[in-house]
Amino acid sequence: MQPLTPKILLFRTAVAALLLIAIMLACALVGSQDVSLRAVFRGPRDGATPSLDYEILMRVRIPRVLLAAMVGAALASSGVIFQALLRNPLADPYILGISSGAGLGAIIAVISGLSWTLWGRSPIAIFAFVGALGTVWLVWGIGRITGRHQVAGLLLAGVVVNAFFSAMIMFLVSIARGQQLYATIFWLMGNMTEEDLFVLWVGGGGILAGIVALFFLGPQLNIISVGHQDARSIGVSVERVELTAFAISAFITAVAVSLSGLIGFVGLIVPHAVRLLFGPDHRQLLPLSSLAGAMFLVVADTIARIVVAPAQLPVGVVTAMIGGPFFLFLLVRYSRRVYWPT
Amino acid sequence: MTAVLQVNRVSFRYGPQKPVLSGIDFAIERGTFLAVAGPNGAGKSTLIRIMAGILKPQSGNILLEGRDLNSYGIRGIAQRIALVRQEFVPAFGFSVMETVLMARTPYYDQWGFESHQDRDLVLKALELTDTARLASRALGSLSSGERQRVFIARALAQNTPILLLDEPTSFLDLKYQVGIYDLLKSIQADMAATIIAATHDINLASQYCDEALLLYPLAEGPEAPADGSRLPDRPQFRVGRTSEIFAPEEIQRAFGIRVFSGRVGTERFVLPLGTRAKDAHLPGLPT
Repeated sequence: MQPLTPKILLFRTAVAALLLIAIMLACALVGSQDVSLRAVFRGPRDGATPSLDYEILMRVRIPRVLLAAMVGAALASSGVIFQALLRNPLADPYILGISSGAGLGAIIAVISGLSWTLWGRSPIAIFAFVGALGTVWLVWGIGRITGRHQVAGLLLAGVVVNAFFSAMIMFLVSIARGQQLYATIFWLMGNMTEEDLFVLWVGGGGILAGIVALFFLGPQLNIISVGHQDARSIGVSVERVELTAFAISAFITAVAVSLSGLIGFVGLIVPHAVRLLFGPDHRQLLPLSSLAGAMFLVVADTIARIVVAPAQLPVGVVTAMIGGPFFLFLLVRYSRRVYWPT
Repeated sequence: MTAVLQVNRVSFRYGPQKPVLSGIDFAIERGTFLAVAGPNGAGKSTLIRIMAGILKPQSGNILLEGRDLNSYGIRGIAQRIALVRQEFVPAFGFSVMETVLMARTPYYDQWGFESHQDRDLVLKALELTDTARLASRALGSLSSGERQRVFIARALAQNTPILLLDEPTSFLDLKYQVGIYDLLKSIQADMAATIIAATHDINLASQYCDEALLLYPLAEGPEAPADGSRLPDRPQFRVGRTSEIFAPEEIQRAFGIRVFSGRVGTERFVLPLGTRAKDAHLPGLPT
């Protein structure tokens, strides 16, 4: 494989970005209700009556496609970071307990029947966000106690905290009442309904800033993914880079999870697929994975919307059902290029 | 001649109950090839990591070109000392070229890319280690010997006057072991590098190294002094010319085994013999 040059990186990123925009436009036009572009271009009002096509596209479809894109980008890029920091190809953004922490926060919000709002939002997202970050902080703290440079301690802490919080989620689900149960399960499976443009802008801006910051850690992540001591002995301040990368990816994952619930598979398979196609160099892996993750989730959410229309599937079901076989195909097709540690 | 690296009464323990190094004190002159030998647990790797600035000793210090090692900072140390660890396969499938380029990471431009100068250093390192023809291969597809040459190339691309190696020939077969030592010897000769290698192979070290440091295991348990120090009449280490340090009786004392020794040319060789070895009852063996 050719070594990466700025020109190749810029070209591939630009092509992927154009592809993402095309996919987002196409997916926004697809749905149970046909939308005529000509009607949309005529503006929000068609003569005296409000334009239905304009309303559907601008108020429903585009926010939803935007949300899917930013959640997909956040999950895929923090998958890249977690795999590098833990030096483990099987890591994903949820491995250190973000998912169960967010889930627990969301369920507590649902069950306690809180009715207050913040910026016009229900408390579910806020509880999920706090739960996610709190859990990561807890796991990171335990990991530091068990051994600063020992990845195994951190991973085990993540597994244990995940299991404990999952048990608490199960407990709360089993005592929940009918309507609460439905809301909880729907949230746990992931969904893409966000109509508040302000929340979209804030969340999207945070995620984008995080991904851009992570890009500049790419070279250091390369050597850290080889080994802690290797990085240190070539002159990289490992602790600082690790903490920065970890904090940013935990933050963008928490934003994504609190906006859309638990969507599995994106953070695991997208980095793998991009690595199989373009190699492991993080300077390229990170931008291409975030764009590919956005494309993947936009398409998956569109399928979730239309396949049983007018009803909707949870998007997490779709990502797992297309993600699994697609990943297996890639693995078989390209596994000769990659060599797994024995 | 001034000492390029000076180890001053360094003591290290991993916990209150586990002293590893005690009062290690020696100096290395520029351009010397030093072998660090000793049984498992005697602290070879620990000493290498202390000299690389990765571990901090509880007492004593390291002087690099006359200045305390800690005062250089992570990057300053990396400009002067490169570390090669035991050969292994990294988790992700980086190519040989990508791996060696990583040595230049601290010098990349603000967009995270290498300069022409970086690339030249990398190409030179690939050539010196005879790995240029493998440049586009994935690290995992190489043999262990080839992979170790790549890690040495990465250390060379760091462009440092001092090279530390932690058991560079473990897991390698005879041909690759000799190959690595020939390579190290040529690096020492051509680049006037100072090389320090922890090793289990006393015979190869005798043939290739100028000096040797032999570590004896520290007493553990009840007889161990509380502060981890040894009795003053028996220091934990000996350092000097390989032929003196690797004397058969010293090796027997350090490793607690019997050895058969002979001479190749100017250097001795030692052969460890356990009690059930075929030639264990050979007349003339020390008992």
